[in-house]
Amino acid sequence: MAAAGNERFAKTHEWIRPEPSGVATVGISAYAVEALTDLVFMQLPAVGKRVQAGESIGEIESVKAVSDFYAPVAGEIVEVNTALPGKLETLAADPYGAGWIVRIKPDDPATLAGLLDASAYDALVKSQPH
Amino acid sequence: MGMIGDLLLAWWDDAASGAHNMAADEMLAAEAARRGQPLIRFYGWDSPTVSLGGFQAIAAARSIPAIAAAPVVRRPSGGGALVHGTDLTYALAVPRGHAWARSPLPLYDAVHEALVAVLDEHGVVARRHPGWPASPADPFFCFSRRASGDVVAARPGQGAADDDPKILGSAQRRLAAAVVQHGSLLLTSNPGVGAAARHPGLADVGGGVCLESLRGVAEAWTRHIAAAGGLRVIWQPATFAAGREAELASALARYREARWLERR
Repeated sequence: MAAAGNERFAKTHEWIRPEPSGVATVGISAYAVEALTDLVFMQLPAVGKRVQAGESIGEIESVKAVSDFYAPVAGEIVEVNTALPGKLETLAADPYGAGWIVRIKPDDPATLAGLLDASAYDALVKSQPH
Repeated sequence: MGMIGDLLLAWWDDAASGAHNMAADEMLAAEAARRGQPLIRFYGWDSPTVSLGGFQAIAAARSIPAIAAAPVVRRPSGGGALVHGTDLTYALAVPRGHAWARSPLPLYDAVHEALVAVLDEHGVVARRHPGWPASPADPFFCFSRRASGDVVAARPGQGAADDDPKILGSAQRRLAAAVVQHGSLLLTSNPGVGAAARHPGLADVGGGVCLESLRGVAEAWTRHIAAAGGLRVIWQPATFAAGREAELASALARYREARWLERR
Protein backbone atom coordinates (compact mmCIF):
# COMPACT_ATOMS: atom_id res chain seq x y z
CA MET A 1 0.00 0.00 0.00
CA ALA A 2 1.37 3.40 -0.98
CA ALA A 3 0.98 6.44 1.20
CA ALA A 4 -2.70 7.44 1.29
CA GLY A 5 -1.86 11.07 0.73
CA ASN A 6 -3.18 12.48 3.98
CA GLU A 7 -0.14 11.47 6.02
CA ARG A 8 1.98 14.05 7.74
CA PHE A 9 5.66 13.49 8.37
CA ALA A 10 8.12 14.28 11.15
CA LYS A 11 11.65 15.35 10.30
CA THR A 12 12.76 12.17 12.07
CA HIS A 13 10.99 10.16 9.33
CA GLU A 14 7.81 8.98 11.08
CA TRP A 15 4.50 9.37 9.30
CA ILE A 16 1.15 9.95 11.02
CA ARG A 17 -2.29 9.59 9.47
CA PRO A 18 -5.54 10.73 11.10
CA GLU A 19 -8.23 8.08 11.13
CA PRO A 20 -12.01 8.66 11.15
CA SER A 21 -12.17 7.26 14.69
CA GLY A 22 -10.17 10.19 16.05
CA VAL A 23 -6.95 8.28 16.62
CA ALA A 24 -3.91 8.60 14.36
CA THR A 25 -1.84 5.78 12.90
CA VAL A 26 1.96 6.09 13.01
CA GLY A 27 4.69 4.33 11.06
CA ILE A 28 8.08 5.08 9.58
CA SER A 29 8.55 6.26 6.03
CA ALA A 30 9.62 4.08 3.13
CA TYR A 31 12.76 6.20 2.85
CA ALA A 32 13.73 5.51 6.47
CA VAL A 33 12.95 1.80 6.24
CA GLU A 34 15.07 1.45 3.13
CA ALA A 35 18.03 2.95 4.97
CA LEU A 36 17.75 0.33 7.73
CA THR A 37 18.68 -2.92 6.06
CA ASP A 38 18.49 -6.38 7.64
CA LEU A 39 16.11 -5.67 10.51
CA VAL A 40 16.45 -8.14 13.38
CA PHE A 41 14.49 -6.81 16.35
CA MET A 42 11.88 -4.24 17.29
CA GLN A 43 10.73 -2.97 20.66
CA LEU A 44 7.26 -1.43 20.84
CA PRO A 45 5.85 0.86 23.54
CA ALA A 46 3.15 -0.23 25.96
CA VAL A 47 -0.49 0.55 25.26
CA GLY A 48 -1.61 3.33 27.57
CA LYS A 49 1.77 5.08 27.59
CA ARG A 50 1.54 8.86 27.44
CA VAL A 51 4.08 10.43 25.11
CA GLN A 52 5.32 13.86 24.19
CA ALA A 53 6.03 14.97 20.66
CA GLY A 54 9.57 13.97 19.76
CA GLU A 55 9.81 11.40 22.56
CA SER A 56 11.33 8.03 21.69
CA ILE A 57 8.60 5.41 21.69
CA GLY A 58 10.53 2.40 20.54
CA GLU A 59 13.66 0.98 18.98
CA ILE A 60 14.49 -0.95 15.84
CA GLU A 61 17.64 -3.03 15.59
CA SER A 62 19.20 -3.82 12.25
CA VAL A 63 22.41 -5.78 11.75
CA LYS A 64 24.44 -2.58 11.98
CA ALA A 65 22.39 -0.10 13.94
CA VAL A 66 19.83 0.58 16.63
CA SER A 67 17.45 3.40 15.73
CA ASP A 68 14.82 5.10 17.83
CA PHE A 69 11.46 6.03 16.46
CA TYR A 70 9.64 9.02 17.86
CA ALA A 71 6.12 10.16 18.61
CA PRO A 72 5.20 12.77 15.99
CA VAL A 73 2.63 14.33 18.36
CA ALA A 74 1.78 14.26 22.05
CA GLY A 75 -0.91 11.86 23.15
CA GLU A 76 -1.65 8.38 24.41
CA ILE A 77 -0.60 5.12 22.75
CA VAL A 78 -3.90 3.31 22.28
CA GLU A 79 -2.82 0.40 20.09
CA VAL A 80 0.42 -1.22 18.93
CA ASN A 81 1.01 -3.51 15.98
CA THR A 82 1.96 -6.58 17.96
CA ALA A 83 2.36 -8.67 14.80
CA LEU A 84 5.18 -6.48 13.55
CA PRO A 85 8.16 -7.63 15.69
CA GLY A 86 7.57 -11.19 14.47
CA LYS A 87 7.32 -10.12 10.85
CA LEU A 88 9.72 -7.24 10.41
CA GLU A 89 9.80 -7.62 6.63
CA THR A 90 6.34 -6.03 6.66
CA LEU A 91 7.96 -2.70 7.50
CA ALA A 92 9.71 -2.63 4.14
CA ALA A 93 7.00 -4.40 2.16
CA ASP A 94 4.13 -2.16 3.25
CA PRO A 95 5.40 0.78 5.34
CA TYR A 96 2.16 2.79 5.03
CA GLY A 97 -0.22 -0.14 5.47
CA ALA A 98 0.42 -3.38 7.35
CA GLY A 99 3.74 -1.94 8.54
CA TRP A 100 2.05 0.59 10.83
CA ILE A 101 3.61 0.68 14.29
CA VAL A 102 1.31 2.39 16.81
CA ARG A 103 -1.95 4.29 17.05
CA ILE A 104 -1.97 7.45 19.11
CA LYS A 105 -4.88 9.44 20.46
CA PRO A 106 -3.48 12.95 20.02
CA ASP A 107 -3.90 15.42 22.84
CA ASP A 108 -4.59 18.05 20.20
CA PRO A 109 -5.41 16.76 16.70
CA ALA A 110 -4.60 20.18 15.29
CA THR A 111 -0.90 19.58 15.97
CA LEU A 112 -0.78 17.18 13.02
CA ALA A 113 -1.09 20.16 10.72
CA GLY A 114 2.23 21.46 12.04
CA LEU A 115 4.09 18.49 10.59
CA LEU A 116 5.41 18.20 7.04
CA ASP A 117 3.04 17.32 4.22
CA ALA A 118 4.13 14.77 1.63
CA SER A 119 5.71 17.29 -0.73
CA ALA A 120 7.64 19.01 2.05
CA TYR A 121 8.84 15.65 3.34
CA ASP A 122 9.88 14.64 -0.16
CA ALA A 123 11.90 17.85 -0.41
CA LEU A 124 13.52 17.08 2.95
CA VAL A 125 14.55 13.64 1.78
CA LYS A 126 15.96 15.01 -1.47
CA SER A 127 18.00 17.55 0.50
CA GLN A 128 19.70 14.84 2.59
CA PRO A 129 23.46 14.76 2.01
CA HIS A 130 24.69 11.99 -0.26
CA MET B 1 41.35 27.46 6.07
CA GLY B 2 38.60 24.87 6.23
CA MET B 3 35.19 25.50 7.69
CA ILE B 4 34.36 23.98 11.05
CA GLY B 5 32.46 21.14 9.35
CA ASP B 6 35.65 20.10 7.56
CA LEU B 7 37.36 18.96 10.75
CA LEU B 8 37.47 15.64 12.53
CA LEU B 9 38.34 16.29 16.16
CA ALA B 10 40.03 13.34 17.88
CA TRP B 11 40.74 12.40 21.49
CA TRP B 12 42.65 9.67 23.25
CA ASP B 13 40.82 8.90 26.50
CA ASP B 14 42.05 7.01 29.53
CA ALA B 15 40.91 3.48 30.33
CA ALA B 16 37.63 3.55 32.25
CA SER B 17 34.75 1.38 33.43
CA GLY B 18 32.08 0.06 31.11
CA ALA B 19 29.41 2.42 32.38
CA HIS B 20 31.77 5.38 32.05
CA ASN B 21 32.67 4.45 28.49
CA MET B 22 29.05 4.05 27.40
CA ALA B 23 28.12 7.35 29.04
CA ALA B 24 31.04 9.04 27.31
CA ASP B 25 30.00 7.62 23.93
CA GLU B 26 26.48 8.94 24.46
CA MET B 27 27.91 12.34 25.37
CA LEU B 28 30.13 12.24 22.30
CA ALA B 29 26.97 12.00 20.17
CA ALA B 30 25.42 14.98 21.95
CA GLU B 31 28.65 16.92 21.54
CA ALA B 32 28.82 16.13 17.80
CA ALA B 33 25.28 17.43 17.41
CA ARG B 34 26.08 20.53 19.46
CA ARG B 35 29.24 21.33 17.51
CA GLY B 36 27.89 20.24 14.13
CA GLN B 37 30.99 18.23 13.31
CA PRO B 38 32.29 14.66 13.52
CA LEU B 39 34.18 13.64 16.67
CA ILE B 40 36.17 10.51 17.37
CA ARG B 41 37.61 9.15 20.58
CA PHE B 42 39.76 6.12 21.30
CA TYR B 43 39.66 4.48 24.70
CA GLY B 44 40.40 1.46 26.82
CA TRP B 45 38.81 -0.45 29.70
CA ASP B 46 40.04 -0.56 33.27
CA SER B 47 39.35 -4.30 33.60
CA PRO B 48 38.09 -7.15 31.42
CA THR B 49 34.48 -6.07 30.80
CA VAL B 50 31.61 -7.56 28.85
CA SER B 51 29.45 -5.17 26.84
CA LEU B 52 26.10 -6.57 25.82
CA GLY B 53 24.26 -5.58 22.66
CA GLY B 54 21.27 -3.39 23.38
CA PHE B 55 18.78 -6.22 22.96
CA GLN B 56 20.71 -9.17 24.35
CA ALA B 57 19.33 -10.95 27.41
CA ILE B 58 21.22 -10.44 30.65
CA ALA B 59 20.30 -14.01 31.57
CA ALA B 60 22.30 -15.25 28.60
CA ALA B 61 25.37 -13.39 29.82
CA ARG B 62 24.96 -14.71 33.35
CA SER B 63 24.70 -18.28 32.12
CA ILE B 64 28.19 -18.29 30.59
CA PRO B 65 30.80 -19.36 33.20
CA ALA B 66 33.68 -18.01 31.11
CA ILE B 67 32.57 -14.40 31.76
CA ALA B 68 31.05 -14.86 35.22
CA ALA B 69 33.77 -12.80 36.91
CA ALA B 70 33.66 -9.89 34.48
CA PRO B 71 31.59 -6.74 35.00
CA VAL B 72 28.81 -6.36 32.44
CA VAL B 73 27.49 -3.19 30.81
CA ARG B 74 24.75 -2.84 28.24
CA ARG B 75 25.56 -0.80 25.14
CA PRO B 76 23.08 1.58 23.52
CA SER B 77 23.92 -0.09 20.19
CA GLY B 78 22.98 -3.55 18.95
CA GLY B 79 24.89 -6.64 17.92
CA GLY B 80 26.58 -9.33 19.96
CA ALA B 81 28.48 -9.20 23.24
CA LEU B 82 32.09 -8.03 23.34
CA VAL B 83 34.79 -8.88 25.84
CA HIS B 84 36.88 -5.76 26.31
CA GLY B 85 40.24 -5.26 27.91
CA THR B 86 42.60 -6.40 25.17
CA ASP B 87 41.03 -4.29 22.45
CA LEU B 88 41.31 -0.77 21.11
CA THR B 89 37.85 0.75 21.19
CA TYR B 90 36.71 3.78 19.24
CA ALA B 91 33.55 5.85 19.11
CA LEU B 92 32.87 8.12 16.16
CA ALA B 93 29.91 10.50 16.33
CA VAL B 94 28.52 12.53 13.46
CA PRO B 95 25.68 15.04 13.41
CA ARG B 96 22.55 14.01 11.54
CA GLY B 97 23.18 16.51 8.77
CA HIS B 98 26.48 14.89 7.82
CA ALA B 99 26.67 12.62 4.77
CA TRP B 100 27.98 9.78 6.96
CA ALA B 101 24.73 9.83 8.95
CA ARG B 102 22.38 9.37 6.02
CA SER B 103 22.19 5.59 6.47
CA PRO B 104 24.20 3.05 8.47
CA LEU B 105 26.55 2.02 5.68
CA PRO B 106 28.62 5.12 4.81
CA LEU B 107 30.03 5.50 8.32
CA TYR B 108 30.56 1.78 8.70
CA ASP B 109 32.35 1.63 5.36
CA ALA B 110 34.58 4.63 6.09
CA VAL B 111 35.84 3.25 9.40
CA HIS B 112 36.31 -0.34 8.33
CA GLU B 113 37.93 0.45 4.98
CA ALA B 114 40.29 2.78 6.82
CA LEU B 115 41.42 0.01 9.16
CA VAL B 116 42.01 -2.38 6.27
CA ALA B 117 44.24 0.29 4.72
CA VAL B 118 46.20 0.80 7.96
CA LEU B 119 46.74 -2.91 8.42
CA ASP B 120 47.89 -3.20 4.83
CA GLU B 121 50.55 -0.61 5.64
CA HIS B 122 51.68 -2.90 8.47
CA GLY B 123 51.76 -5.99 6.27
CA VAL B 124 48.62 -7.56 7.70
CA VAL B 125 46.32 -9.06 5.08
CA ALA B 126 42.87 -7.96 6.17
CA ARG B 127 39.61 -7.64 4.27
CA ARG B 128 35.93 -6.99 4.78
CA HIS B 129 33.86 -10.11 5.23
CA PRO B 130 30.72 -10.57 3.06
CA GLY B 131 28.78 -11.60 6.16
CA TRP B 132 26.89 -14.62 7.34
CA PRO B 133 23.07 -14.51 7.39
CA ALA B 134 21.75 -12.86 10.56
CA SER B 135 19.27 -14.81 12.62
CA PRO B 136 17.77 -14.77 16.12
CA ALA B 137 20.05 -17.74 16.83
CA ASP B 138 23.21 -15.71 16.17
CA PRO B 139 26.12 -16.58 18.47
CA PHE B 140 26.25 -14.62 21.73
CA PHE B 141 29.63 -13.02 21.09
CA CYS B 142 30.17 -10.37 18.41
CA PHE B 143 33.46 -11.94 17.39
CA SER B 144 31.72 -15.25 16.71
CA ARG B 145 29.43 -13.51 14.19
CA ARG B 146 30.20 -12.15 10.74
CA ALA B 147 28.20 -9.15 9.59
CA SER B 148 28.73 -7.74 6.14
CA GLY B 149 31.74 -5.45 6.31
CA ASP B 150 33.31 -6.84 9.47
CA VAL B 151 37.09 -6.77 9.19
CA VAL B 152 38.73 -10.18 9.21
CA ALA B 153 42.39 -11.10 8.79
CA ALA B 154 43.88 -14.12 7.11
CA ARG B 155 45.80 -16.50 9.30
CA PRO B 156 49.55 -16.15 8.67
CA GLY B 157 50.63 -18.13 5.63
CA GLN B 158 47.11 -19.01 4.63
CA GLY B 159 44.76 -17.64 2.02
CA ALA B 160 41.41 -16.00 2.71
CA ALA B 161 38.87 -18.30 4.33
CA ASP B 162 35.24 -17.84 5.29
CA ASP B 163 36.09 -18.40 8.95
CA ASP B 164 39.04 -16.00 9.06
CA PRO B 165 39.31 -14.39 12.51
CA LYS B 166 37.25 -11.23 12.91
CA ILE B 167 39.34 -8.43 14.36
CA LEU B 168 36.98 -5.43 14.07
CA GLY B 169 33.26 -5.21 14.68
CA SER B 170 31.19 -2.04 14.99
CA ALA B 171 27.64 -1.02 15.82
CA GLN B 172 25.67 2.21 15.67
CA ARG B 173 23.09 4.03 17.71
CA ARG B 174 21.11 6.39 15.49
CA LEU B 175 19.69 9.21 17.58
CA ALA B 176 17.53 12.13 16.49
CA ALA B 177 20.40 14.63 16.39
CA ALA B 178 23.46 12.44 15.82
CA VAL B 179 24.73 8.98 15.03
CA VAL B 180 27.36 7.33 17.21
CA GLN B 181 29.24 4.29 16.00
CA HIS B 182 31.54 2.42 18.30
CA GLY B 183 33.64 -0.60 17.62
CA SER B 184 36.31 -2.87 18.95
CA LEU B 185 39.63 -3.74 17.33
CA LEU B 186 40.68 -6.94 19.08
CA LEU B 187 44.42 -6.79 19.73
CA THR B 188 45.02 -10.11 21.46
CA SER B 189 42.97 -12.94 22.85
CA ASN B 190 41.73 -11.93 26.29
CA PRO B 191 43.27 -13.97 29.16
CA GLY B 192 40.97 -12.26 31.68
CA VAL B 193 38.02 -14.47 30.75
CA GLY B 194 37.54 -18.19 30.25
CA ALA B 195 38.54 -19.92 27.04
CA ALA B 196 34.94 -20.08 25.77
CA ALA B 197 34.86 -16.29 25.64
CA ARG B 198 38.23 -15.77 23.97
CA HIS B 199 38.79 -14.94 20.33
CA PRO B 200 42.02 -14.53 18.38
CA GLY B 201 43.14 -10.96 17.95
CA LEU B 202 45.37 -8.91 15.71
CA ALA B 203 48.57 -10.25 17.26
CA ASP B 204 47.41 -13.78 16.50
CA VAL B 205 47.15 -13.04 12.77
CA GLY B 206 50.56 -11.46 12.34
CA GLY B 207 49.70 -7.95 13.46
CA GLY B 208 51.83 -7.93 16.59
CA VAL B 209 53.86 -5.05 15.23
CA CYS B 210 50.75 -2.83 15.51
CA LEU B 211 50.74 -3.32 19.28
CA GLU B 212 54.12 -1.59 19.58
CA SER B 213 52.51 1.76 18.85
CA LEU B 214 48.80 1.69 19.45
CA ARG B 215 48.61 5.45 19.30
CA GLY B 216 50.34 5.32 15.96
CA VAL B 217 47.74 2.85 14.71
CA ALA B 218 44.92 5.03 16.04
CA GLU B 219 46.40 8.11 14.41
CA ALA B 220 46.85 6.37 11.07
CA TRP B 221 43.35 4.92 11.30
CA THR B 222 41.91 8.35 12.04
CA ARG B 223 43.87 9.86 9.17
CA HIS B 224 42.41 7.32 6.74
CA ILE B 225 38.88 7.83 8.10
CA ALA B 226 39.25 11.57 7.71
CA ALA B 227 40.56 11.20 4.17
CA ALA B 228 37.47 9.17 3.25
CA GLY B 229 35.28 12.05 4.39
CA GLY B 230 37.44 14.87 3.07
CA LEU B 231 38.15 15.96 6.64
CA ARG B 232 41.20 17.35 8.39
CA VAL B 233 42.13 15.71 11.72
CA ILE B 234 42.90 17.73 14.82
CA TRP B 235 43.96 15.77 17.90
CA GLN B 236 42.74 17.44 21.09
CA PRO B 237 44.93 17.57 24.21
CA ALA B 238 42.10 16.98 26.71
CA THR B 239 39.04 14.78 26.61
CA PHE B 240 35.95 16.22 24.97
CA ALA B 241 34.10 15.73 28.27
CA ALA B 242 36.28 18.21 30.18
CA GLY B 243 33.99 20.76 31.78
CA ARG B 244 30.94 18.56 31.33
CA GLU B 245 31.45 16.41 34.42
CA ALA B 246 27.89 16.82 35.72
CA GLU B 247 26.42 15.68 32.40
CA LEU B 248 28.79 12.73 32.36
CA ALA B 249 27.86 11.77 35.93
CA SER B 250 24.18 11.80 35.04
CA ALA B 251 24.68 9.56 32.03
CA LEU B 252 27.02 7.33 34.03
CA ALA B 253 24.34 6.80 36.68
CA ARG B 254 21.89 5.64 34.02
CA TYR B 255 24.31 3.09 32.60
CA ARG B 256 24.93 1.75 36.11
CA GLU B 257 21.24 1.24 36.85
CA ALA B 258 19.90 -2.31 37.03
CA ARG B 259 16.88 -1.02 35.12
CA TRP B 260 19.12 -0.43 32.09
CA LEU B 261 21.37 -3.45 32.48
CA GLU B 262 18.48 -5.82 33.04
CA ARG B 263 16.04 -4.33 30.56
CA ARG B 264 16.05 -7.65 28.74
